[in-house]
Amino acid sequence: MGRKKIVKGLLTLVTIVLFLLTIFPFFVVLINSAKASLEIITDPIAFPAKWSQLFTNIKTIWTNPSVKYASSVYYSAIITAFSLILIAVTSAMAAWVLVRRKSRSSTIIFLIFISGLIIPFQVVMFPLVSLFRNIYEVTGIRMLRTVHGMIFAYIGFGAPLAVFMFHGFIKSIPFELEEAALIDGCSKPQIFFKIILPILKPIFVTISILNAIWIWNDFLLPSLILGVGQEVQTIPLAIRAFAGSFVKQWDLIMTAVLMAAFPIIIGFIIGQKHIIKGMVSGSIK
Amino acid sequence: MAKVSISNLNKKYPNGFHAVKDVTLDISDKEFMILVGPSGCGKTTTLRMIAGLEDITSGEMRIGDMLVNEVSPKDRNIAMVFQNYALYPHMSVYDNMAFGLKLKKTPKAEIDERINKAARILDIESLLKRKPKQLSGGQRQRVALGRAIVRKPEVFLMDEPLSNLDAKLRVQMRAELIKLHNDLQTTFIYVTHDQTEAMTMGTRICVMNSGVVQQVADPRTIYNKPANLFVAGFIGAPQMNFFPGKVIEGSMVEVESQTFKLNDELKEAVKAKSKANAEVTVGIRPEDIRLGNESEGILAKVEVTELLGSDLNVYFKIGQRNYILKTEASRGIKIGDDIYPVFNSDKIHLFDTETESSLLY
Repeated sequence: MGRKKIVKGLLTLVTIVLFLLTIFPFFVVLINSAKASLEIITDPIAFPAKWSQLFTNIKTIWTNPSVKYASSVYYSAIITAFSLILIAVTSAMAAWVLVRRKSRSSTIIFLIFISGLIIPFQVVMFPLVSLFRNIYEVTGIRMLRTVHGMIFAYIGFGAPLAVFMFHGFIKSIPFELEEAALIDGCSKPQIFFKIILPILKPIFVTISILNAIWIWNDFLLPSLILGVGQEVQTIPLAIRAFAGSFVKQWDLIMTAVLMAAFPIIIGFIIGQKHIIKGMVSGSIK
Repeated sequence: MAKVSISNLNKKYPNGFHAVKDVTLDISDKEFMILVGPSGCGKTTTLRMIAGLEDITSGEMRIGDMLVNEVSPKDRNIAMVFQNYALYPHMSVYDNMAFGLKLKKTPKAEIDERINKAARILDIESLLKRKPKQLSGGQRQRVALGRAIVRKPEVFLMDEPLSNLDAKLRVQMRAELIKLHNDLQTTFIYVTHDQTEAMTMGTRICVMNSGVVQQVADPRTIYNKPANLFVAGFIGAPQMNFFPGKVIEGSMVEVESQTFKLNDELKEAVKAKSKANAEVTVGIRPEDIRLGNESEGILAKVEVTELLGSDLNVYFKIGQRNYILKTEASRGIKIGDDIYPVFNSDKIHLFDTETESSLLY
C-alpha cells in the first residue's frame, strides 16, 4: 500500500470520528425527544420504544399554557429576522462608508468596531441593563422586556463582526463600479442598494447565517433583557420552563430543543451554498 | 453633439499635489481627441474632471455651451468607458447596458431597440444574457462600449480602455474604435499612455506632462514638428536621438565636429529667434539616420540590435554618445559590426537648450 493511500485512509478515519462527535449531540436529542420522561432516565442512549411519542411530546409542548411555545417561536422569529436584516444592512452601510471615506476618523471608527469583537459580552451585560433602564427613565422609551430592546442590543453585539467582514469584502470592489453607476444616473442610496448590496450577497448570507444561529439559540442576553417567565420570551427562555429547580422534564426539553433547531437546520441547508461562497470569497483570485 | 471647452483648469489635492496645471483645451464637436502622456501626467485627472468624477479646483469646463463645473456626472450627457470596464458583476450584459436607461425611466421598447442596435454594431448580440464573468477581456470591452453607446451621449470618455487587452486584440479593437467613431459621429476623448494608440486613433493629440499641456496638434504635426524636447522624446519609438550642437552663422549646425546644413524652415526659425550662433539641442529620429558608406558617414560600432520583423533598431556609439537608427531588417546588421551612419540634415530638429522648446514655435 502506498504512502498516499495510508494518509488518505487516516484522513478519512479522522473525518469519520469528527463527524460522529459532531452528530452525537443531535442523535441524543433526536432519540430522546421521542421518549417519555422515565424512558430517558432508564436508558438515555437507547432508541425510543415507539417513535410516535415524539408527536405526543410536540403536542404537549405546543399546548402547554405556561410555556407559550407558539408565542415564543413567534417572538424568536421576529427578533431573529429583524436583527439579521438590520445588522446586515446597517453594518454593510457603515463598512461601505468607512472603506470609501479614507480619513483618520474612518480608521478610528473602524478600530472602535473591531474593539467590539474582543470585549467579552459578560463584561458589558450588566451595564447594558442599567443603560436600558436609564434610557427608559430619560426618554420614556421602554427597552427592557421589549422586542425592539432585544433587536437594538443584537445590532450592537452583531455589528462589529459584520462591519469587519463587510469592510474586507468592500475593499475588493473596484471604485469604478460606483463611478460608472454615478454616470448612469444613480444617487448614493441607489448605488448602495442597486450595486453594492447585490455584490455583497455572499458575505450578506454568511453574516446572516452566523448571526441567525447565535440569535436563535441565545439564552443569556434574552434572559437579561426580556427576563424569564415574562410576556415576551424567546424559545431558549421557553425551554427553560421545563427545567424547574426540582424536576427536569428531559423528554419535553429534548423535543423542544429539536423543534427549535429545526428552522435553523433548514435555513443552513438552503443557504449553505452561499455561506461556503462567502467564506472562501477573496481566498482565490 | 457637443464641443468641450476647458479653460485654465486646475486640480489641486488637499495634500498640496497639483495634478493639473492651467490646462486650456478646445475639443471640437465630433473630434477624436487623445490625451497622452506618461503615468502621473494628469491626463486621467483631466478626463475625470470632464466626467464630473473629480471636483475642479479652478477654471471653467463647458460641454456644448453649458458650464458644467457644478453639474453632476449624470446630467452632463456623457458616457465613460473605464480601464477595468466597470461592468456590474451581478447583472447580465443586457441589464448592464439597460441600467442607465432604466434609471432614466426610458420605455422598455426603446431600451430594447437601443440595446439591440448597439449589440449589432459591436457584435455582442449572442452575449446579452451572459454575466460579465462569463466573458473574455475583448467581449467585456465591447459590452462596456455598448453600455456607453446606448446612452447616446454627446461626449464619449475613455480611460485607457485597451490597456487590459493582449497586443493582438488591442490592434483589432483600435481599428474598431476608429470605425465606431466614424459611425457614431460623436466627440470622443480618449486617455492613453500608449503613443501608438494616440498616433493611430486621434484626429488631434494633446500631449501632457506633469499636469501641463505640452502640445495639441494632429498626429502628423506632433510627430514631425514636436513643440519641445518632451514631446519629441515621448512620441516615436524608438525615441528621437538628442545631442548638443551649435548653430553656425544661422545656416548650419555643428554636432561632434560634423556640420549639417539647415533646411529653409529652420534657417528662418533660427533667424527669428536670434539663435544664429547659439548652443542648441539637436534631435533626429532613428529613421532619419541611414546607413552610408565609408566616404559618407562617421565610423561607429553596433552595440545592440533589435529585430522588429521588417525593421531593425540599431544601437551604436559615436564618441561617448549613444544613438539609435532604424533600418530594414534585411540589412542583416549584427552586434560588433562597423557602420557608417549618415544623418538626414533635412529632418533635423533644433531645440532651445534653456527652454527646451523647438525653435519652430
